[in-house]
Amino acid sequence: MVKHWWKALGVVLVIYTLTVGMLVPLKPGITAVSPSSVRTGEQITIQVAGYNSNFKKAQDSIRAWLKLDNERAIAAQNISVKDDQSLSLTFNIPEYLPVDQRVQDMTLVMDNDADGASLLPSAVFVTQDSIDPEMGQQVWKNADISNLNDKKGITFPFRNILGETIRNTYFHVSLWLAMVSIFIISFINSIKYLRNPLPLYDYKAKAYTRSGLLLGVLGLVTGAIWAKNTWGQYWSWDVKQNMTAISLLIYMAYFILRSSLTDSEQKARIAAVYNIFAFVALIPLIYVIPRLTDSLHPGAGGNITFGSQDLDNTMRMVFYPAIIGWFLISVWISKLQYRMDIIHARIWNLDDED
Amino acid sequence: MKSIGEIWHLLRKDFLLEFRTGYAISGIFLYLFGTVYIVSRAFQQIKPESWNALFWIIILFASVNAVTKSFVQESNKRQLYFYSIANPIAILLSKIIYNILLLLALSFLTWGTLSFMTIDPILKPDVFSLTLLLGSVGFSINFTFISAIAVKANNNSTLMSILSFPLVIPVLLLLVKLTANSIGLIEQDITNDILLLLGIDLLLLAMTLVLYPFLWRD
Repeated sequence: MVKHWWKALGVVLVIYTLTVGMLVPLKPGITAVSPSSVRTGEQITIQVAGYNSNFKKAQDSIRAWLKLDNERAIAAQNISVKDDQSLSLTFNIPEYLPVDQRVQDMTLVMDNDADGASLLPSAVFVTQDSIDPEMGQQVWKNADISNLNDKKGITFPFRNILGETIRNTYFHVSLWLAMVSIFIISFINSIKYLRNPLPLYDYKAKAYTRSGLLLGVLGLVTGAIWAKNTWGQYWSWDVKQNMTAISLLIYMAYFILRSSLTDSEQKARIAAVYNIFAFVALIPLIYVIPRLTDSLHPGAGGNITFGSQDLDNTMRMVFYPAIIGWFLISVWISKLQYRMDIIHARIWNLDDED
Repeated sequence: MKSIGEIWHLLRKDFLLEFRTGYAISGIFLYLFGTVYIVSRAFQQIKPESWNALFWIIILFASVNAVTKSFVQESNKRQLYFYSIANPIAILLSKIIYNILLLLALSFLTWGTLSFMTIDPILKPDVFSLTLLLGSVGFSINFTFISAIAVKANNNSTLMSILSFPLVIPVLLLLVKLTANSIGLIEQDITNDILLLLGIDLLLLAMTLVLYPFLWRD
């Protein structure tokens, strides 16, 4: 049992990913405000829709601001709570703003002791009738945003557009990273086969390629579901999607090549050669080309990758175990497959000796 | 030095064979003229964007056809004879060089005929010529290597396209982008793209040279 600990670990990590990744609630956030465009000199009432919020419970402690920049903000005059997910805020927009733009966007910041602080960037666009930054400075009544509450308990961050789909990080992204590691193992086994042609290395390369392909298909499907919810379509012919589909085609061709060769020694050798060639040709496909062209996907065309700013510590607690979990499960699947091949080969050899 | 001599003799042999039979080249050129004729009749008014796409589709299929022949035309016994008198790397390199020259002729001929029959949208002939050169090199290395794999299997022409098309797509995308630049559809610095294309070509060449010794033996 001692040497099988990693299988148990893999199962535990995948179950952990599924339960914690799906069950931990999102941090309360603001999904929408209306109206979202106002004029200067008005007293306006904004309807705010909250997500996972407890406005009713925290009725007395709610505070709200419209933030102009890091130093300037105006506080809400009146707050009336309708239910847990909606409330209305009344702001007095001054006659002049201390900026020289005609249209200025402002960020809505809200805080209460049950939900902690939440914000919606560019929530309200203020249109100035006449521009006078000097006057704006004079009439501005600044309100400090201070003493913000923290949300108690474990939550995942709330991001606009992403919403609940942020959980897909534990599936789409981690499946993809596990796939790359599995393909690397397959690549190494193909090199080993060419250096020392033992059938075992060929069985291993084949088994790992097969599980890598499975992970790749799952990564593509979860990615398409994510794209449906954030970009609007399952498939938008984005460069990253195309390159992924092509790289899966390359690995499917590996199996077609195997099945079209009959001699087992020749099959193993040529498949190893193709696997190495394909892996090397894959690197520009997945990592270089998408970075050079425009893409919707994070980590391409000047977009930063998802991880650098949006992955907070709570998400890391699920994200890294998820990668290891998917990886270990796939290694287990591959191991079962190549052991089957070894048994198969041994039985056939016994038949030959009879 | 010995292998350079071998490459030279093998190249000479391939050209001589081609001049005496004329089978491969005439077949490919007939295919080329046929396609260009159909394309130019089907598209009455051709836009530069479509010209770019059509050009590379014609080249892609013509080059697969052209390169597949290079290993298929020799019988197993004759191949065995070549391997016994020459270094396998020299054989591969001679095939690659022969195919580069063939594809280069093919590309310029397609450019000429397609421009003659439809329009010539190329504004920067120097950039486009460089694109054709790098494209021929990339296609030639990729297709030659894959045809060496495919010739080992029985249904090799189907296998050839299944194996090579996905692998050639990075090169093809860069070529389309560079062509769009030489047509004037996109205006941006192309040094990076050219270097990347050169990098992919060299990477593919290095991989073929490393892997071919494992492939030819049977």
